[in-house]
Amino acid sequence: MAYKPQFYPGSTSVGINRRKHMSGNLEKLRDIPEADVTAIMGHRAPGADYSSTHPPLKEMGEPDCPVRQIVAPTAGAAAGDRVRYSQWTDSMYFAPSTPYWRSYWGAINCKGCDPGTLSGRQIIEARERDIEAYTKTQYDSEMTDVALCSMRGCTVHGHSLRLEENGMQFDMLARTEMGKDGNVYAVKDQVGIPLDKKVNLGKPMTEAEAKKRTTIFRADGVPMCGAVGARKYDEAVEALHHMWELRSKWGFRPE
Amino acid sequence: MVTESDTESIQVEIVPSRFLMPASAQRLLNEIYGNGGLIRIMIHGPNLPRSVPYGPGRGAPIEENRDLLIEVGGQAFELCVKVGRIRLELESAKYFDGLKAACERALPISFQIRRGKFFHTRQTITDYAKFGKVEDTRILGLIDPRAKKDRMAILSEEKVTIHDEER
Repeated sequence: MAYKPQFYPGSTSVGINRRKHMSGNLEKLRDIPEADVTAIMGHRAPGADYSSTHPPLKEMGEPDCPVRQIVAPTAGAAAGDRVRYSQWTDSMYFAPSTPYWRSYWGAINCKGCDPGTLSGRQIIEARERDIEAYTKTQYDSEMTDVALCSMRGCTVHGHSLRLEENGMQFDMLARTEMGKDGNVYAVKDQVGIPLDKKVNLGKPMTEAEAKKRTTIFRADGVPMCGAVGARKYDEAVEALHHMWELRSKWGFRPE
Repeated sequence: MVTESDTESIQVEIVPSRFLMPASAQRLLNEIYGNGGLIRIMIHGPNLPRSVPYGPGRGAPIEENRDLLIEVGGQAFELCVKVGRIRLELESAKYFDGLKAACERALPISFQIRRGKFFHTRQTITDYAKFGKVEDTRILGLIDPRAKKDRMAILSEEKVTIHDEER
């Protein structure tokens, strides 16, 4: 029987969503053009050449190394691209993803990337053409709700603040805006420099939809213990207790 | 049981469940102003910088945060923060119910309103550095200790005196 990886325990909707994020088996909700994703990332003008740190691997003459023979380089590494980043901020108000789950997604599903997890933001670094592809996947999939998540290279403030009246996550630099037609538009790149044209990111999720797709356990949403009043806690808590117990015992080693 | 005096001033905090747009903030502030009995009021929320403060885009203007003028009680002033919390002092408890009704009329979203003690009464070192010796204690607690003193808008024309010289 072929090995099937298991990702996260529990039968709550949040547990199921967390499994989806980690496995990379995500629903595609929108299709934002590659050029627009590149413009929002702001590292290079759409259509411009990729800057490089070394010549393409084929021209470099690599040493005879068994690991290099086994592992095929990513497109960016093969071309010698510079390492670039994309950074996300997800609201605590039922955003579909959270920093930890973006990192799990990146570490498990994206080759040659370096995810960094912080309390209010999550950054992934990779070779430029790779990170562009990974960012587009994040933008297009159910990991992202255009109102509750946004790409913020700096001034990431906003994930733990109340939402704005129109349901958008607060952004000090006003990088995204709610249009009169109900669509969310990106008007600046991730560091706050205005874009040449607004990018239509589509309609945000409704509150019910966001709660359905979220990976955040919350007392006013889905609690981690599962159904309130159930005779048995959800498996997610049991697994957590198990890990906590093993970690504590392993850590406590009197000589 | 201690009987509450209805002649002493009371302090109130209003916290909407979401950050208010300038138009909603203006509507709410005008309703509060119209209710009367106001001694002082503080608007609290995250800062809205006029240009990108740091990062590669530092210095790029943020047009969305400029000229956010709102008019309260016939006087216009510029909004420097996203309105998320309002603290105010009323002349007496008899204005409280009217204030609650004013919030219900003005706010399209849910909110919390509570009485308590929200402004400090003794001058701090920061207050001294900013204002010198404060004669009128009503200005205490009206602005963020780290903010510049021009963040304070004086809408009542009488009795509030602040030294205006530049430091």
